[in-house]
Parts: sequence; structure tokens; C-alpha cells
Amino acid sequence: MRVLLVEDDDLLGSGLRAGLRQQGFQVDWVRDGVAADTELRTGAHTVAVLDLGLPRLDGMAVLQAVRGAKVRTPILVLTARDAVSARIAGLDAGADDYLIKPIDLHELAARLRALVRRSHGQVQNRLVAGPVELDPLSHTVRVRGEPVDVVGREYDLLHALLLNAGRVLSRGQIEQHLYEWGHEVSSNAIEVHVHHLRRKLPPKTIETVRGVGYVIHKAGTA
Amino acid sequence: MSGRGHLGLPGLQSLQARLMATVMGLVCVVWLVVVMATWLDTEHEVGELLDAHMSQAASLLVSLPLNELTRLHLSETPTLHGYQPKVVFQVFHLEAQVVRSATAPAQPLAPLGSEGFSEAVIDGRAWRVFTTPGLDEHVVIHVGEQDTARADVVLASLRSVIWPMAVALPLLALAVWGAVRWAVGPLRLLGWQVAHREPDVADPLPLAGVPLEVRPLVHELNRLFARMASLLQAERRFTADAAHELRTPIAAIRMQAQVAQGALDDDERNDALAATLQGCDRATRLVTQLLQLARLEAEPGLATGVHTDVHTSLQQVLGDLWPVAQRRHQRLEALPHPNGVGPCPAPETLVAVLLRNLVDNALRYSPDHAWVRVQTQTLDAGRTRLTVEDSGPGLSDEHLARLGERFFRVLGTQQSGSGLGWSIVTRVATLYGLDVRLGRSADLGGLRVDVEWT
Repeated sequence: MRVLLVEDDDLLGSGLRAGLRQQGFQVDWVRDGVAADTELRTGAHTVAVLDLGLPRLDGMAVLQAVRGAKVRTPILVLTARDAVSARIAGLDAGADDYLIKPIDLHELAARLRALVRRSHGQVQNRLVAGPVELDPLSHTVRVRGEPVDVVGREYDLLHALLLNAGRVLSRGQIEQHLYEWGHEVSSNAIEVHVHHLRRKLPPKTIETVRGVGYVIHKAGTA
Repeated sequence: MSGRGHLGLPGLQSLQARLMATVMGLVCVVWLVVVMATWLDTEHEVGELLDAHMSQAASLLVSLPLNELTRLHLSETPTLHGYQPKVVFQVFHLEAQVVRSATAPAQPLAPLGSEGFSEAVIDGRAWRVFTTPGLDEHVVIHVGEQDTARADVVLASLRSVIWPMAVALPLLALAVWGAVRWAVGPLRLLGWQVAHREPDVADPLPLAGVPLEVRPLVHELNRLFARMASLLQAERRFTADAAHELRTPIAAIRMQAQVAQGALDDDERNDALAATLQGCDRATRLVTQLLQLARLEAEPGLATGVHTDVHTSLQQVLGDLWPVAQRRHQRLEALPHPNGVGPCPAPETLVAVLLRNLVDNALRYSPDHAWVRVQTQTLDAGRTRLTVEDSGPGLSDEHLARLGERFFRVLGTQQSGSGLGWSIVTRVATLYGLDVRLGRSADLGGLRVDVEWT
């Protein structure tokens, strides 16, 4: 999952980036409100962590602006403003969750997972498509109950496809899910990952929609 | 009322009571004067009237010859009027009493040879006497009237004047009380409004309906309320900002510590631990500054007579900050005046606080390889100037204006300042009468801060 981290404080930002990476997220970090606004509008991120006291454009203004522009990315507000009125204002402005600094890394990761799950209409943390089962908490994949060794980009790829089960994801969309900025993505990288992943999963789990992209069906394939 | 704090009699603290006492006191005095004047006037007029009456009675007796006078049976005259018995007469012939009315005393009312009106006291009673010669020769007629009877008449005529006034007086008092109450009503309302204000409501008192005399007071009160409100707001914002500023480093420390915990290799762990320490240093600095500021805020006033040698302090502060400058390849230069400068009229600790904040800010907000210079010089009239200037980006006018705000940081700076440094500097300067000026450094191009004292 690719997270947009918006935090102007160097030390906290670098800590959050390192911590979230440990938790298996891809992290893009911006330090001011204008950049946050631009990035959120691209819709490239699965979820966003937004500080409120930001240079150039306040976090609240960013929230209002992107929600006004119909950006659907779940946003977790992370701030030192602990007044109840501030929380209410934040949630009403379009935040999906509100955490007060200081925070626990594991709680933050859990909340981000929950936000992503809910935003994709899932009730359970585990994502299931036919015999394939993915547990985002333990980063494990099982096929008919048997653990399968799916890690790294392949795991992220499967996660993205399962989260959007039933929807065709283009190669570009998948790249957005998989790679932080600055990663040189070779032209056939996605195909390579899909190829490796297919070998570990039951046949026809991942379907190719020619000229569009890839899809996993919720019920799995026959 | 200017300059007089005490409002007269101790029992009359209330404006209403003061007005009532003054007005009613004056009314009573005037009333008494009127009664006295009426009394004197009535006494005079009634006296004249009664005198005329006496001379009239005498003239009746004068018209009678002696033989008829001797035959008068005066004791049998009917009492036709309440005052009548008190009017008496005596008729003398050749110093012998011929006849007298029943109530008249035996001895003569007036000495022989007198004529006209006179006063006499007989058997302890005061008389008014009219004496006239009779028709016949050697006949003298005295007509007398007791003073008490005359006083009764005066009193009776006075009574009709006094009692309406005696009734009117309480009514008047009541009316005055009502009028005064009505007149001071707006004041009472104002007092009530002030007393029943919510402590943290900044709304001004309404000016509508406030008497002109009190309007300046209400104006001043409203200004005071506004000032209090802004102070209160500043205090609250300070607390909120302080909480905010403390939470971020703590969050960073916690996050870095957790990253270190979950690190997969030594490099990652060491980086995270280094960042944790850095966060601790930052939090320490912030707490130190907050405490400095809090202590300065609580400072009641000047600790006068304390002086500090700036050069000693400067040496110490520059020594402390040298490593900071070195790390970022900044050039930190001190140009103390060779002959020494006048001592700074502030305690040593606070001079150090001031210098540290100034130099630290200059280093912090200037880029790597920047140049920071601290200079002291002696000006005219025994003034001393300390200048801290840097080759950093300086501040725009807008930012200069906002610099005094606590926790204000110029956006976009990557440095982790607390935004408290300048607040501390100005506070120290205000407490000890130092002049602080901000400007642009002509030599180095960045920010220039001048601190001056005598």
C-alpha cells in the first residue's frame, strides 16, 4: 500500500517514513500543504497521513480543498491539536480518522489498514478471492489454507488486486500502488511480477484484460 | 471628583443616599427658615391686630363719663369669644380704682402718668397694656391682655400654615427618593451588568442608555475588557501552541524509538537511535526555552543595580555555540571592542540567555557556510551597542512584523526552531530597559539585531 505522508517536521517525518516502511507500506513524504494538495489530487495513494500545522497551506485547508475536489483517498489526520473542537472540525472537514501526537507506530499502521479496508468496502481485514487469502496484518498469503511464499512487490501487487477485486487495474495504476517516487520502473516490471505471482497462485486467479490491465474476481475463477 | 478617593461621610457611600441626604437636608433647612419667617411675620401682624383691638376696646370706655363707668357690672358681661376673658381693663380716678373687669388684676397694669402701649409683669404673668385718659378729667383707663392669649392667637394662625407643610415634607421626601432612584437607575444597572459578567466573556458593556457622565467610564471599562480578553486569548494560544510544539518532538522521539525497535539491520537501528537522541536534544531545548520564558514572565520587575560584563558572557556563549557553527561550516566571528564596553544592566544569566538566543537564531536560520558576526561598540553619551548579524536570507517586512508572535517560524525553514527565541530576547530587553532593533545587515546581507543600553 502506498501512503502519502504529509509532515513538516524533519525528525517526525523521517521517523514516520521509516516506521511505516517497516510496517510494509510504501511511503511518499511531502512537507508542505501545497505539495500535499497536489499529490492527493493525483489519487495515486491508497491512504494519506496528514499533519495539520503545515507550511504554505494549512492541513485543514488541504482537507477541505481535496474533499471539495472529490478526492476519495482516506485521510488520517495526525496532529498535536488535541482540543475536542479541533477533532470535530477535522473530521467534519473530511478526515477519516484523527490521531493526536504522540502516536504508536503499530496503532498508526493498524488504523491505516482499517481505513484502506473500509474505503474498499471490506469488513474483514483478510482479503479473500476464491481459494486465495491475504492477511495484511501478518503479510501472509494462503491458498486453500496452505501458506504461500508471496513477499515484496508480488505481495503488494496481490494486495492491490485483491483490494480492488472485481475492478480492472491498469498497469499504471498498479505501478502507482507499488512504487514510491524515485523508483525507476522498467517497462515490463509489472508483467514480470504478475508472471511470478501467477506461478504461486491457482491458475486463472489473475486475469489479463487485454489492452487494459489485470483483475482478480471476488469469487475467484472456476 | 478628580484626585479625591474618599467620597465624604462614611455612611454615605451610596450616591443615592448622598443625594437624598443633601436634598432632604436642604429642604428641611429651607422649610425651617420659612417657618421662622412666617412665625415672626404672623406674630408682628397679629400683634398689631390685637393692639388695634385693645385700643378700640379702650375707646369704648373713653366715651363713657365717670358716673357711668362706676356703674358698669363688668363681671356679668357674656363671654362672646374665646379670647375675650383675657382682655381686661381697669379704670382709675385720682389714682383710685373705680372699676375693673373680673379677670383683671387688682394692682394697676401700668404706672401712673404713662400713656399708650406698654408691657407689664404682674403676679408672674406678662401683660400687654394700653393706657389712655378717660372722658372726664383724672380718669385713666388701662386695657390689658395676657401675652399667653396673644401667643395662642399667633400659634393658631401659624398652625394653619405649618401643618400643610409638615404633611408635604414626607411626601416631598418620598418624591425626591423616587426621583433620585430613577436618576441613578442607569448606574445601578451598570453596576449589575459589571457584577454579573461571565469572567471570560469579552463582550463590551452596552453604551446605549448610559448617562453621558458615566460614558467615559464605560468606554474605559470596555477597553480594559478588550485588553483582558486579548491577553487571555494570547495566554490560551500560548498554552495550545506550547502543547503543540512539545507534542511534535515527543512524537518524533517515540516514532524513532519504535523504528529502532523494529529495525532489521544495524544501520537502520543506528540511524533511528541517532534521530531519537536528536529529538531529545530538541525537546530539551524547547523545554529550556519555555521555562526561561515562563520565568521571565513571572519576573515582577527590574533587579536594578546588577551589571554584567558582556564580553565575558559573549565568550562563554560563543564557546558553547562554536560546535554548532562548525557542524554546518558556518563562520562565527566575534569583534569585541578592544577597550571594553559599558556593562549591561541585567543579571549575568539573562545576558547569557539573550546572547545565546540571538546567536543561536542567527546560526539556525542561516544556511551552511554562512557568516555570523557579533560586534560590540561604544556609542556617544556612554551608550553601548551589541550587534548580531548574519549572511542568511534575512526576514521580509511581513515576517519582521510577525516575529514577536510566539512559536512563529518562517515557513519553509528546515530548521527546528521553537519560535520562542525572539520572545525571550524582547522580554529580557523590556525587563532591563535595553533597546532592541531589527534590520538588514549592510555588511553581510542577512538579519541584523542591535541591542543598546546606557
